[in-house]
Amino acid sequence: MTEAVLFTLFSVAAVLFAFNVVFRKNAVHCALHLVGVLLSLSGMFVLLNAQFIAAIQILVYAGAIMVLFLFVVMLLNVKGEVPLLTPGAAKGFGFFFALLGFVELLWIVLSSNGGGEGAPRPAAVLPAGFGSPAEIGRILYSTWLFPFEVTSILLLIAVIGAVVLAKRKFL
Amino acid sequence: MDLAFLIESAVKVLIVLGFVLLGVPLIVWMERKVIGHMQDRIGPQRVGPFGLLQTIADGIKLFFKEDLIPASADRAVFIIAPALPVITAFLALAVIPFGDTVRVAGRDVPLQVTDVNIAILWILGTTSMGVYGIVLGGWASNSKYPLLGGLRSSAQMISYELAQGISLVSVILMTGTLSLAAIVRQQETMWFILPQFFAFVIYILCGIAETNRAPFDLAEAETELVAGFHTEFSSMKFALYFLAEYANMMVVSGIAISVWFGGWHGPFLPPVVWFLIKLSLFLFFYVWLRATFPRLRYDQLMAFGWKVLLPASLLNLAVTAVVLTLASTR
Repeated sequence: MTEAVLFTLFSVAAVLFAFNVVFRKNAVHCALHLVGVLLSLSGMFVLLNAQFIAAIQILVYAGAIMVLFLFVVMLLNVKGEVPLLTPGAAKGFGFFFALLGFVELLWIVLSSNGGGEGAPRPAAVLPAGFGSPAEIGRILYSTWLFPFEVTSILLLIAVIGAVVLAKRKFL
Repeated sequence: MDLAFLIESAVKVLIVLGFVLLGVPLIVWMERKVIGHMQDRIGPQRVGPFGLLQTIADGIKLFFKEDLIPASADRAVFIIAPALPVITAFLALAVIPFGDTVRVAGRDVPLQVTDVNIAILWILGTTSMGVYGIVLGGWASNSKYPLLGGLRSSAQMISYELAQGISLVSVILMTGTLSLAAIVRQQETMWFILPQFFAFVIYILCGIAETNRAPFDLAEAETELVAGFHTEFSSMKFALYFLAEYANMMVVSGIAISVWFGGWHGPFLPPVVWFLIKLSLFLFFYVWLRATFPRLRYDQLMAFGWKVLLPASLLNLAVTAVVLTLASTR
């Protein structure tokens, strides 16, 4: 019961915030509503027993990355929207991607329950320590070690790239 | 979730809330008094005995002052911004244990609002959200000095968060838990200040920078930015920023006590008293620093954070990991 109420609360909040991210004219307001989306998602992660992911979501995305977004937006001082495409082209692209998203969702919904009798499936039994930092660390460094290392190399490349870009004018 | 649990939680929340709201005027009085004496002055002495009621009088003044919103300010953000750092400070205080488990009416009541198993991540998360109050306050004022102050503080807090988090990780490596209550319980025989002294030094330097206190108070450097991010705020909005600064000092001190100074552990006196003694010493340390050091220049602040504190914290983490691995394989 409590879970259902909280889930509704977080999901409605996330959707409303997401709408505002798209429709707000002021770039700073958009960024702030994006923070709202991230916080609502973090609440949903807690409901899914993934407290570690929830905390990381707040710490990294809402607390660090979005602050940098705001930092840049404030420094650029964007007053209004600068249209990148003509209105017609924008509508075309929008329609295409909306259709793509809809088809994807439809595909997931149709393939998930297999058109069964509609009865809710029994809740999955969580393995011991599910979502705890220890368990995530164990899986990350055993089963998913290769993707993890590839990601770290990718990030290293990004860091080196940033340093090169920032240093260029002094060379 | 029974009724007794709800009552217990509500009482604990009220205790922490009341303690902070009543404690902050006392800290402000202590700060003015201590700095006064350190600068060969007397400090507040007219209102009440030893000037104790001075902060209360200031609070009443702020409460009745006209609440101004600049015409060109972003109204919604301007109103929300001062509340954010207060909210995040109280959220962080919720996981700090201030005493041992006590038995009340046949129930074991841990003296901590809530013991979440990711307490340290929770605290890092809430403090990282506290940046918004300052950045948005500076931006929403729509004026140059507040904006500069807000931008400075966002860069400062992001830079120092990294070293702060890594210094906490070295202790987590030793304890194997993220729960503050468990970390405090592990320090019954030895405080972690002994094995993790360098981590503590890095943490407390970052903590001072995170709370925007002297000598890292560049966000409100009055000699160059009028009053920085809170220049345009008056009345209770200003009071909220003020409250948040001192509540955040309590958060940083509370974590330092719980992680490095044995939390509520101590001989003879009851645990809660020990916690309060340690908290007072930390707050005194804050004031002492403010009276001692001149403010850093902005480039010095950034160089110190990125070129000294971050490598030092990483080195400390690496050494801790190597020592722990060697100790466990032997």
